Order: sequence, then C-alpha cells, then structure tokens
Amino acid sequence: MLLPLRIRRPVMPRTARAPYARPLAGSWSRAGLALALLALCLLPLLGPARLVSVVSLMLITSIVVVGLQINTGMAGQINMGAAAFMGVGSYTAAVLSLRLDCPFWLAIPLGGASAAAFGLLFGITAARIKGFYLAMTTIAAQMMFQSAVLNLPASWLGSSGGLSIEPARLGAWRLSGDAGVYYLALAYAAFMTFGAYGIARSRFGRAFAAVRDDDSAAGPMGIDVAGTKTLAFMVGAFYAGVGGAVWAYSLRYVAVDQFSLFQSVWFIGMLIVGGMGSILGALVGVAAVRGVQEVLTSYGPDLAAMFPGLGNQLVFASVSIVLGAAIAFFLIVEPRGLVHYWYVLRRSFAAWPLRY
Amino acid sequence: MIDFVNYALNGALVGCLYALVALGFVVIHRASKVFNFAQGEILALSGFMVWTFATGLGWPLPAALACSIVTATLLGLAIERMLFRRLAGAPVFAMVMVTLGLLVLLRGAMLVVWGAAEKPFPALIPMQPVIVADLILPRALLFGAAITVLITSGLWWTFNNTRIGLRLTAVSEDHQIALSLGVSVQKATAAAWVLGSVISVIGAVIYLNGRSISPMSSEIGLAALPVAMLAGLESIGGLVVAGILIGVVQSLTAAYVDTRIGGSASVIVPYLFMLGVLLVRPAGFFGWKTLERV
Repeated sequence: MLLPLRIRRPVMPRTARAPYARPLAGSWSRAGLALALLALCLLPLLGPARLVSVVSLMLITSIVVVGLQINTGMAGQINMGAAAFMGVGSYTAAVLSLRLDCPFWLAIPLGGASAAAFGLLFGITAARIKGFYLAMTTIAAQMMFQSAVLNLPASWLGSSGGLSIEPARLGAWRLSGDAGVYYLALAYAAFMTFGAYGIARSRFGRAFAAVRDDDSAAGPMGIDVAGTKTLAFMVGAFYAGVGGAVWAYSLRYVAVDQFSLFQSVWFIGMLIVGGMGSILGALVGVAAVRGVQEVLTSYGPDLAAMFPGLGNQLVFASVSIVLGAAIAFFLIVEPRGLVHYWYVLRRSFAAWPLRY
Repeated sequence: MIDFVNYALNGALVGCLYALVALGFVVIHRASKVFNFAQGEILALSGFMVWTFATGLGWPLPAALACSIVTATLLGLAIERMLFRRLAGAPVFAMVMVTLGLLVLLRGAMLVVWGAAEKPFPALIPMQPVIVADLILPRALLFGAAITVLITSGLWWTFNNTRIGLRLTAVSEDHQIALSLGVSVQKATAAAWVLGSVISVIGAVIYLNGRSISPMSSEIGLAALPVAMLAGLESIGGLVVAGILIGVVQSLTAAYVDTRIGGSASVIVPYLFMLGVLLVRPAGFFGWKTLERV
C-alpha cells in the first residue's frame, strides 16, 4: 500500500479489552479501589472545606460524564444535549420535592427516569436518522428544554427565576452542609459508576461497541442497531438526569442557565481529555478539567488584574482556552486520552522488569 | 393581508441570511467531510475582525472589509495547518471533535481579547429600510439576500462543474479514495476552511450591520443549523430553498403564534420543522443518500 496515510491509532479503543471492561481484575486493583474509596469517604473529616466542595462538584459532574461516556464513547453516538438532559432531571427532582414533598432517594431516580424519557424522544429518531444528523437532533433537545422552561407559566417551573428547594433529608439528618452534599454525591457517583462498569461488561455494552465500530456491520450480526442507539441515548440521558437531580439537591437552586449548550460541549471535552471509551477515562477527564477550573478560579484575582475587561466571565474564558487547547492537543497527540498514560504505567509496573 | 405578505417577505430575507451562515457549514462539509461545530464562533470572530479594523483602528470601511477577508483567509489556512494537517489519516470523528475544541477555544479567546461587553458594529449598508408600496424591507437583509443568491449559485456551479469543485467533492465523499486518486485532502481542507471563513466575514457584515457585537453573536450559528440540516449537508443550491422556508415559517410563527401564547415559540419552530423533515427524509431535502454495504 502506497497510500500517503499515516496509520494512526483509533480515537476509541476498538475492542472492550480487559483494562476498559474489567476494573477489578487482580488483587492490586481491588486494594487500590478500596483505598481510593476510603480516602474519598474520609475526605470531609480530614480535608479543607474548599476541597470538599470541589470534589463534590467533580463527583456530580462525573455522573453526567460517565453516562456520556456510555452514550458517546462506547456507543459512538455524539450527544450534544447532555446539559439539557441534566436539566430535565434537575427540574424533575426540584418539582417533586417542592410540590409533592418527595424524599430525595425517590426524587433522584425519578429525575433520571424523566430525563431518560426525554432522551427516548430524541433517541427514537435513530430509527431513521444517522450520523451527524442524529447528533443535531440532540441540539434540538437543548433548544426545546430551554424554550419549554422559559415559556411555561412561572408557577410550573419558575420560568427564568428558577426554583429553590429544601435540602435532602434522611430521617433527622439534613444533607445541607458541604459534608452532607458531598456524601450524597459520593454515594450516587459510586453507585452509577459501578453500574456503568456493569453495562460495559453486559451484552448491551458489547452491542454498543459493535454499533460504534461499524453500524452497518452490526445489523447483520444480529444487533438491533436503531434500538441499540436509542438505548444508548436513554442510558446517557438517565445518567445525566441523575447527575442533574443530585446537582439540584447540592445547589438547592435550579435555573435554566445552569444547563446551556456550552455545558454539553464541556462535558464532551472532559471525555476527550480523559479518554474516549473508558469509564475510568471519564472520571480522569472530569477531575482534570474541574481541577484546572478550580486552579484558575483561585488565581482569578491575579488574572483579573491582567484582563480588566472580563469581569465575571474571567474563569469561564480562561478555562475555555485551556480546555479548547487540551481537546485539540489530545485528539492530535494522544487520542486515547489522559487515562492511557495510567494504563501504560500500570502495565509497565505489572510487567517489570520485562519491557512487555 | 398586507401584513401577512410583509411578515412572509421579511421572513424570507432573514431566511436568506440563515442560508448564508449555513453556507459556512455546508461548504466546509462539502469540501472536507468535516462538520464544523465552530462555524458560529468563526462568524463572531470575523465580525470582531471587521470591528477591529473599522472601529478600533478607524480605517475606511472598504479597506477594513478587504483586510478582514485577508485575515479570514489566513485564519482558515492556520486552522488547516495547526489542526487538520496533524490529523491526516485520523477518523472523521476525531476531526469533528477538533472543531468542538475550536469552538471552546475561540469562545474563550474572544472573551479575553475583546471582552464580554457589547460593542456597536459599524453599518456598512445604510440602515434606512427599502419601502416598496406598503412593504418595509430592511436594506441590509435585502442586500444580503442578493449576495446569498449570488454566492450560492456561484459555488453551486463551481462544485458541480469545475475540476477543482469535483476534487473537493471527492474529498467530501471519502478521504482515502480521494487520496488514492491523487486528490490532495490537505489542499481541499485548506480550501474548505478558507472558503468557510471568508463566507463568515460576509455573513457577519450582513448579520451584524448596525447592531452590536459580542462573543454571544455566535448564537446565529445555532439558528442557521436547522437550515443546513434541512437542505442536506452536501447541498449548496438547496440552502436558499431551505433558508427561505425556515425563515418564512419562523417569521409567521413569531407574528401569529407568539403574540397569542405570549411566549417565543419561534425560537424552536425551526428545530421542530427540521426534526419533522428529517424523520421523513433522513438526509434533508437535497443531501446525498449514501448506500452502505458491509
């Protein structure tokens, strides 16, 4: 072959190989996971308050991005409406807890379910629409969500004023402070992440990978292609909805401008930076981007002195520049994302002193 | 009755503006197979270039426009050189994702360089409306519609009849096959982005004429998206048809539905219309219907 093409690594891993699908192979991994969970559980007792609130934001975001990883990274369907689905879950939980006095452990899954129903509405178009046209229908989801919230009577969803809700209550314990919100986010993030590993290992996960790698070949292999794509959108929307509902309880205020199209683009950016197709990659991407955001926020006053015209847009602008450059960098230099470096490190540790 | 005609005609003119903005999406897709999510940002950036030359530096308007077009050409070449040349041979998926990165990067860069405040954009076209009998038509949009029809018909002819156009078309069908037939994907991508950016300058001048410009001006890209989808991502000629259709539907909704329900249904009507049409014709009105075999 004399094609002047550089042979490149695929953007997404082509097969569900061991490190992507099985998180707990080997006793080292199990010990590492237990240690990480223990550290996360102890963080509010030992760490500074600022760190606790940053990590809870990371945990909430990771619920959404892990869902997006299943939707985009595993099933290959670009979803530009993650923020809208998050918003649907958020508003559902807020309305349920405000009007029906629904407990949080019921309102959060119901938020996910309503987002999944909204996702079904757009995923179902996959039966006829393919490729980028399908991605565009998720932008329509974003538009319709925003327009619906703003145009419905203010007594329903609060219109542009937003909704304020009571903190989540577990018996007599109000999950209101930094620590309470943190444990709520940690519980749901851990639960949803383990669920995602389950999905990746199941027949649905394999069907997602088959549709991603070649949807016209997946059909003759006995996979219901349109159904699988619809399911992918529903799973992604469910995760986003749960993330949004937890978000509603952590902020205790829901407004439409928290769920802009730009948020969805950021979520996709986190996927690319972390690594497409790997659930651990989604977590790494969230931690990296939110971490950079936090660092830039804390240096905000210095930056503000340099660019006085920016005002309150400063953090947004600087994170955008870093994230945009990082997306391009990773797609060009390391399409498998940050998490790939971790896999390389782990493999060389396991194979030491041999090279392979 | 005259109101109805007025609304419909104004809608058609706005639709032509949408078509001009959507032309940026379609030209880049039609010449390099990449869907450019950052088109709205490139349009806003082009607008800021015109603003900088005309208001910031105080140059006469024709010189500012010429300089903006040169800068836009350089921008297109730079995007190809810095991003897409390094992605040669990568899946189209990765290239589309890079345009998402470009979107985020440009939004941040515009905020840093020009700030978030709205700035008055110079009026290159006089602001007085054209009045024909009882019809009131904005001059900039009328001018824009003429330019849209001119550019789309020119590009439509070029893409379908000339050797260069057919080479670009080959690239948008399949990168590998185009390469093996001796068509340079690199040059096609550069041409696509130069065309896309230059069209953005023209689109920005007509859209922003006499209004104010801010990084949020890029939202026009989202308004034009349904037009590109409706026409089909490969169809240049279909854009004007789709643009006028969506413009008229939106304008009539704004005039007759919004006033009744007191909301803004006109914002989402183009998207609903697009969804409905895509369900019947999955590749838009005039898009390529690809046959897929394993």
